[in-house]
Parts: sequence; C-alpha cells; structure tokens
Amino acid sequence: MIPCTDFIPTYSELFKFLEEKGGPGAVRDFWEYLSDNFLGNLKDLVERKGLRGCWEYWSHTLNEEAADFTMELDEDAGEFRILMHKCPSKGLLLGLHHVEPYHDYCGHCDVLYRRVLEPLGFEVITDLSEINQARCSLTVRRKRARRKR
Amino acid sequence: MAKKVMERRASDNAYLHKDFHGALSAGIDYLDRRCGEEAVREFLRRFTVSFYAPLIAELKAGGLAALRDHFERIYKLEDGEVETVLTDDELVVRVAGCPAVSHMRRHGYRVARLWHETTETVNAALCEGTPYGAELIEYDDRTGRAVFRFHRRQP
Repeated sequence: MIPCTDFIPTYSELFKFLEEKGGPGAVRDFWEYLSDNFLGNLKDLVERKGLRGCWEYWSHTLNEEAADFTMELDEDAGEFRILMHKCPSKGLLLGLHHVEPYHDYCGHCDVLYRRVLEPLGFEVITDLSEINQARCSLTVRRKRARRKR
Repeated sequence: MAKKVMERRASDNAYLHKDFHGALSAGIDYLDRRCGEEAVREFLRRFTVSFYAPLIAELKAGGLAALRDHFERIYKLEDGEVETVLTDDELVVRVAGCPAVSHMRRHGYRVARLWHETTETVNAALCEGTPYGAELIEYDDRTGRAVFRFHRRQP
C-alpha cells in the first residue's frame, strides 16, 4: 500500500510519466478524465446546493488535507473563494529534496474544477502567481445573465 | 444570507485525506486502459525507486528492520492491522485488510483492477539494488488482505 500521505508525490510522478509517454496533452487528457470521473461528489453538491456545495466540498477536503487557508462564501454576492496561505500539496512537493516535482503540478486544480463548475453556470478564476511559495487562490462566481438591450 | 468564513491553520488538523486512495486508483485504472498493465508496473517502479530512495538506502545500510518500521508506521497511520515477523534474513508482513481498499469500498470508489501492484510492484522496487527480494504470497482483491515477505537473496 502506498499511504495516502504519499499520494501527492505519487501523482506528481504519474504526471511526469504521462508527459514522457505522450507530451503535455497526455497529462491534460488525464486531468480531464479525472474531472469527469472522480469529481462527481463536487458536481452533485453544486448541482443541488449551488455555491454552498463548494463550501461543503472544500470544508471536507481542505480540513483533511490540513491546509492553511481562508474560505469565504457570500451567497448574496454569488461568490465563493479560497485563499490558500499554504497549500499542503505544493508545500510537500517544495520540501522534497530528492525528487523533482512535475513542472506544472498545480495546473491540475484549474483544469479539474473549471471543467466541473463552468458548465453549471459559474466562472472560475485561479491565481497561481505565488505558487512557488505554495500560495494560490480560487474564486468561483455565479455567472450573471446578460441583459437584453 | 450571511457571509460565511472559515479560517484554518495547518496545525489545526491532521494530514490524512483517505480519498486520495480513490484518486490514485483512478490514475492506475486510466494508465492500465490507455497504456496497458506494463505501463502501470513501470510507473509504480519508477515512483518507488525515486520517492522511496531514502528508505531503500536505509534498507541497504541497516537491513530489513527499515522495511518493518516503514510498514508498521504506514498501516498504523491508516488504522490498518499489520503483523510483522523479522528474522536475520527474512521479514514477513501480514495485513489483515488494506485500509485503502476498505476506504474505497466504503465510499464507493472503484478499486483499480491492478491495485495489488501498489503492493507487489512497489515491494519489488523497494528491493532493487539491495541484497533482498520480495514476494507477494497472498492477496485478496476484495479486502486487500495480504501476506508478503522480503528475504535475503541467495548469492
């Protein structure tokens, strides 16, 4: 058994392996497969509860991952936001001295969540500009209906 | 509707997200279907040799006690039942049920056809470049119950 605490380096190696086999497109294909086949719980929650479903989904995962974060839900404003002060996954990879992490490890977050949430009527904004310090943010905003002129 | 805010520090929680087993299972399944079972074994071998290099170095330097400590630690971490018997040239590990498999079955995640390779291939790769060999003696796909051994190879 590979313990779940070693999962992040395992996935990082899987991304490297897939890229070696088929280039960056092969990694992206996998991320899309994962989004379609593994995030049914997020999709189900958001379909039933809207942005509150995001709150419930990430309340579970981020606490189990011992993340350092601020999470905000403002249903009136139609916005959900995660400010990740220290991502446990990226932090773990940055702390490994004997393994080179996959160069675009954090790219999977954007692909996975965007692919679930955009078809449900939300826009997804990710900021990975400080990811080398394991900091990032994810904003999910309800799309506004366009007014007819 | 009120605004909700949740603030957490890393130290507020223990790092144990067992749903990751389901994600790894999905990855193994994907690789199996897209690239075949040899690719699954090669990926797991490469991961093990690379990520567990410090453990392999301990095995070379200090013998099988390094593996005993590793397996006792990881199964305890995930609330699994494990029994180890170590002698000079052999380590036998008996796992009553794989905590990863039980978590996936309990939560409806598909267990990959080749999930047992996370034991068989990983154990074999841990022995690469060492005087030891690995053998999977028993494995139950339904529960992940397993018996495996490491032994000093005959010269």
